[in-house]
Amino acid sequence: MPFDRWPRDIVDPQVNREKSQPIFSTDPAEFYYLGLNVPCQRACPAATNIPAYIRALFENHYNRSYEINRLSNILPGVLGRVCSRPCEDKCRHGETELGEPVGICQIKRAAADYKDPGHTYMTRLYAPLGKTVAIIGSGPAGLAAAHDLSSTGFKVVIYEAFNQPGGMLMYGIPEFRLPREILMHEIDGILRLGVDIRYGVKVGQDMALEDLLKDHDAVLVAAGCYASTRLGIPGEGLPGVHTGLDFMIRVTSGEPPKVGKKVLVLGAGFTAFDCARSALRLGAEDVSICLRRTEENLRVTGDEILETKSEGVRLESLLASRRMIGQAHVEGVEFTRTRLGTIGGDGRQQIIAIEGSEFVRPADTVIVAAGQRREPVKFLDDNHVEAETAAGDHAYVTSHPKLYVCGDYATGPSTVIEAIAGGRQAAGRIVEDLTGRKFREPVVRMEEAQVTDRQRVWDFIPRQAMPTVKPVGDRFETPQVEVELGYDAKTAHEEAKRCYLCYLHYEIDIDRCIYCRYCIDVAPRDCIKLVERIETNEMGAIVGYRETSHWQHVNAVVIDNSRCIRCGECLRVCPVNCITVTRIEQVERIRPTGGD
Amino acid sequence: MGARHLVVIGNGPAGKEAAAVLRDKEPESRITIISKDHEGQYRPNFLPDYISGRKSLEQLYATPFRFYQDQEIKLRLGQPVAVLDLEERRIILDHKEVIRFDGLVIAVGGRPRIPEPLLVFQDLMYTLKTVQDANSWIDRLASVDSVVIVGGDLTSFAITRALLQLGKRVGFVFSEEAFWPQRCNDQILRAAAAKLAARGVEVVPGRLKRIVRHSETRFEIMTDCRHLEAGLVGAFFGLVPDVRFLAGSGLQIERGILVDEYLNTGFEGVYAAGDCAQVYHPELRDYWVSIGYDNALRLGRIAASNLAGGREETTVPPESLFCDQGVRANTSWWLEF
Amino acid sequence: MGKLDITIEICGMSGDGTIAAGGLLNTAMSRAGWSVLAFDSYPAEIRGFGRCVTRSRFGETKQIALEDSTDVLISLDDKQSLSRIPFLADDAVVLFDNKPSAHLAEGESIAAHVAPGMALYGAPFLDLASSASGSGKGRNLAALGALAAIYNLPLDYFREVIAAKFKSKGDRVVEANHKSFDAGWEYAREQFADRIRGIPIPGTAGEEPEKLLLSGNVAIAEGALAANVKSYFGYPITPATPIMEYLAGKLPERDGRVVQMEDEISAIGAVLGSFFAGTRAMTATSGPGFALMTELITHGVMSETPAVIVDAQRGGPATGLPTKTEQSDLLAAVFGGPGDSARIVIAPTDVTECYHYTAKSFRLAEKYQTPVIILTDFFLDNRVENLVRPTSRPGDIEDGNVYPAIADRWNYHRYRLTESGISPRALPGMEGYIFPATGLEHRQEGVPDFSPENHMVMSQKRRTKILSALADLESPVEYADPGRLDVGVISWGSSFGAALDAVNTAREQGLRVGALKVTTMYPYHAEEIRAFMSRCQEILIPELNLSGQLATLIGHLFPKDVIRLNMVTGIPIYPSVILVKIREIIGVQGR
Repeated sequence: MPFDRWPRDIVDPQVNREKSQPIFSTDPAEFYYLGLNVPCQRACPAATNIPAYIRALFENHYNRSYEINRLSNILPGVLGRVCSRPCEDKCRHGETELGEPVGICQIKRAAADYKDPGHTYMTRLYAPLGKTVAIIGSGPAGLAAAHDLSSTGFKVVIYEAFNQPGGMLMYGIPEFRLPREILMHEIDGILRLGVDIRYGVKVGQDMALEDLLKDHDAVLVAAGCYASTRLGIPGEGLPGVHTGLDFMIRVTSGEPPKVGKKVLVLGAGFTAFDCARSALRLGAEDVSICLRRTEENLRVTGDEILETKSEGVRLESLLASRRMIGQAHVEGVEFTRTRLGTIGGDGRQQIIAIEGSEFVRPADTVIVAAGQRREPVKFLDDNHVEAETAAGDHAYVTSHPKLYVCGDYATGPSTVIEAIAGGRQAAGRIVEDLTGRKFREPVVRMEEAQVTDRQRVWDFIPRQAMPTVKPVGDRFETPQVEVELGYDAKTAHEEAKRCYLCYLHYEIDIDRCIYCRYCIDVAPRDCIKLVERIETNEMGAIVGYRETSHWQHVNAVVIDNSRCIRCGECLRVCPVNCITVTRIEQVERIRPTGGD
Repeated sequence: MGARHLVVIGNGPAGKEAAAVLRDKEPESRITIISKDHEGQYRPNFLPDYISGRKSLEQLYATPFRFYQDQEIKLRLGQPVAVLDLEERRIILDHKEVIRFDGLVIAVGGRPRIPEPLLVFQDLMYTLKTVQDANSWIDRLASVDSVVIVGGDLTSFAITRALLQLGKRVGFVFSEEAFWPQRCNDQILRAAAAKLAARGVEVVPGRLKRIVRHSETRFEIMTDCRHLEAGLVGAFFGLVPDVRFLAGSGLQIERGILVDEYLNTGFEGVYAAGDCAQVYHPELRDYWVSIGYDNALRLGRIAASNLAGGREETTVPPESLFCDQGVRANTSWWLEF
Repeated sequence: MGKLDITIEICGMSGDGTIAAGGLLNTAMSRAGWSVLAFDSYPAEIRGFGRCVTRSRFGETKQIALEDSTDVLISLDDKQSLSRIPFLADDAVVLFDNKPSAHLAEGESIAAHVAPGMALYGAPFLDLASSASGSGKGRNLAALGALAAIYNLPLDYFREVIAAKFKSKGDRVVEANHKSFDAGWEYAREQFADRIRGIPIPGTAGEEPEKLLLSGNVAIAEGALAANVKSYFGYPITPATPIMEYLAGKLPERDGRVVQMEDEISAIGAVLGSFFAGTRAMTATSGPGFALMTELITHGVMSETPAVIVDAQRGGPATGLPTKTEQSDLLAAVFGGPGDSARIVIAPTDVTECYHYTAKSFRLAEKYQTPVIILTDFFLDNRVENLVRPTSRPGDIEDGNVYPAIADRWNYHRYRLTESGISPRALPGMEGYIFPATGLEHRQEGVPDFSPENHMVMSQKRRTKILSALADLESPVEYADPGRLDVGVISWGSSFGAALDAVNTAREQGLRVGALKVTTMYPYHAEEIRAFMSRCQEILIPELNLSGQLATLIGHLFPKDVIRLNMVTGIPIYPSVILVKIREIIGVQGR
């Protein structure tokens, strides 16, 4: 009888076994493995289970994809538009010879866009604990903490200085990047968990922090950084010179300042770009962003830089401002050229002014977007809140036992996703301190995977471009219109195919392998190795392979998962079916009764 | 110096000069030129004359392969570089071959630049950098009699002259972007426009807004004040240094590779020369990118000489500077026109 | 461009599909009308360890030899292909996979060895095949697709031959392979749009009669079938085994048999037995097997029994180089075995002659009642040429036996002395013609006899008989202008093609040279050979053996020493080598 017609259970003893149950583990070796193999999740401060949500979208389960996000990062619709995407920098599809990273963020947005309008959130709610927590600030950090605390059973009251919620999301990011209805829809989802919010209350000014500490079981300061950093150069006070954050707040509050024709924006962060593009929409003709370093060093995403330039904003590098020129109104800025020196203490190249290179650039509006600092909340005898900045157990905790800090207020200006992650962690800390137990913990879940339907062909799909409003002129007709249009369902599906699904783990059973090396022949890269020895670290995780090309030294044919792109070719050609596939993911395990 | 491996990336005038000088100064060392072009070295400044028929294909190609053989310079054609790893001092070619170097001169030149707002029309415009580009122009010009040039860089004037010699009608849309990295002022624009108009070129005012293709040989060009029709649209916005592959390598990149006055990148033994190098010039009070064939040769020589242990500074030839708010730049092409 | 003449090589590791790709290329190019001569080399191991190289020469006119200069190299495995670099022409084209699965150190990629005058085309064969068909196994086809695009080769032929070759594996495989091929083609069309090099399609494409690709071995087998051979007795040995395999497929349909014997001795025994009984049979072997056969071959000589033996020569001595070519069994074939045992030895020079000589050999064996040895060599056996399907001439395959007259019934002497030396032969079972046949010396009746005069007379009879075959055997063929020649090149077997190619080039260069093809090795046409030699100032004999076996056999016909050009490299001799020698000889003469 030909081999391919033998009864399967003789050829493949695994075929009649019952489908196995998932296994959970908190072994550090597993986390080590995941850090190496699912780098997107490891890079996300909120540890979003990225392969899972991409797979869910691929299967057209938009709601599930949305929920997988929401359970980790609380505001997927918002993040899908404004996240700084640390995951994409680490995406394995973006490794040098493999092409472009997967559009992880765009897929997140697509899940948010295409979920059912009536989709209900699947937050696990606990019974009320009879305790209350006050949160100062309703930015991303405060909102995330409010979500977690409220669902765990705490009564949460947010004290917000502005008249609307959202913090930087509402006031620092322009509508053409983040539409207000999306933002409000997701904020409402949090507020409806029973969170009270009081607007127009600036704690430390309109009411005392000490009172909050008396009235609540804990107080979390998530007040962000709203004090603009000044350059401290002559002429900075001239009319026509704005700070970046103030400019944006006025734009987003509906009372934009007057903007001239020639605008210079000094700064290199997200705010600088938002200000430049907003200035264009307010009628400026000639807008330049002046960088002290070069474009290489920008934290803004490549897509955004491209869109900014397409709208006509110029990026000029290696310029440091010296003073602003003008009598009754700003008329220009004097710059020197800079050059970049060696890496300094902050890990960035030093900026060195070139002697004798002064020149003046004319302008009638100057926006200084040089960063923000926190405004310390007044506390007790004019002492300011101190945050202990040590990591680990002492993070989020201050010298006062009931007072906690998180978000930009604690770390300095950072990104939305960092703030959200920080908010959730601070909430977890508060929960543990007040109840004595943990309600959620990260855990590794392992389950046998059905042979994947992923096809090798998909690895060659190029990254799908995000459609934007074109021609560019249309963006200025309706300045509020969202510039990025979002993937349509088909494009999102196509992009989702590109994910390697790195949570899959391919392994050769060396007892059944016959060393025929067909797998190596069809491997797309050096992912399957002839190995003499495997090196492990003290945790027991695999850290290296001693390869050999001499047959007498080969002890095993091994799939190096850190090189594997899960294309499935080896599985398809193996003549003895000795390759198994397991899904290994980091998830959050909810403890039903909160235990050890 | 003992036997080192010296690598030159780019086989244009700067790269080839650099290699020749290195061979002269380091007879024992191994020298490799790596180029992404499949063709031998040619003179890009002759391309407009090739299009007009005044120069033959043979005259375009500057250096026969014999030269490299005789000088024992290994010439690797058609092999682009994908990654530069400064820490390990190696480059990785696009086909995944790893090459270690002791000294490196980057002379990759530039590629035609399309400003971002016009990227959406990229496929509708012709650029002119390679011999293949020139052949495409020749093919298309056989069936059109009017051309619109957008931009205003060095080559645009040369090609305009070539087109006029071929008897084509030429329209010219100046762009501020074209004098990049400098910003031109009205005075320069007027001087250049006058020169063009005197030769019968229609200088079109306004900014380019849109290009619409009606057929393979009929395009409509819209500025903010005029509509024009032509059979071919040429984009001449200067060259942007072709340094995308260097992103993330650790080299300081602005528009080109930032180098000091000795053409050193800040990393020992790593230099840049030619159209891809960006040097600060105190007189100009700005970073300038060398423009032109002769500059490329000169910078190639200087970079190589410094890599071999010299200390030669770059200087800008003093002629033909213009002044704009205290910023001066070396631009003389429209005067030659 | 001048006359089309292009040599294309595909080099890979065994298991890459190199040989398959070469086969597809040959067939497609043959369909398109080019003449093909192809020769592959591959290692003994099946997987993973050896280098496979296919070399094919395509041209407008019939290709008679392979050159050592390659015009196009397709590298399916750079590590293996590095060894082919020295053979690349100055303006060669190299195709390689520019996305290998791992990084390579400097020099490990073939791109590092391509000189500037050559043209490098990189395409990601593995990725193209994977993305088009879901499997990397089609990478050799992606490479072929790229080649077809670069040279503007007519696609339909390729797609047809791919469909034909993989038909037996099912539609899905055919489709996947088409996709891989198309992916390579499309990629190349786009990426190399400005570097396409067309080559002219010969006007003979699709003409009738259609040409086939045949290897020497298959031609031998087909020739035997044309002669209605009934049985094949043999033992597998490289490079003769394919003859056995081919006949094993075909003979049963004609009520014939292939029988694998326990060794070569019994194989030749069975062949002699079959012919003795009046039925055609044959065997094929190589040097080591032939050596085992020699005693029984002389038995055939002594007992005047026909046999047909193919000796497919390979590198020797002893087990030697099983997969390499050589021409070192000539003297063994002519003289091997005990005693004065003259027999007929013939040596074809190309695939067409393999067919016809094999077809004729049965008649010759029967008529002259002798073993006939057909000498081929590894190169000739395994190379592939395209030719119009050969058909045998009736005169070649008819029954050659000289039967006894009715008058001799009841008074039949098997070994009766005759003028020609041929004694009419009865077949066992013919009533009234019973006779003894023996390997002992015998008298006319066939009864053993060791007396002095008898042995002298019978030995001469047998010798005369063989010499009388000269009229029936192919005379040497001249390729020369009439009159004096500075150099005459004489060669045999597969080396003749190279010799003729060199002579043609020399004549184009204005040199006075000529070639002589010798295909009847024994008995040889001394008169004709001597006549040719006498017109020549010098005689050059290139052959693939160390001592110059043909030179030793016929050199005495020339008044001075013949010049020997001997090579035992295991690879065929190249025309350029012979040409250099010709020019050197002429130079030596101070012309």
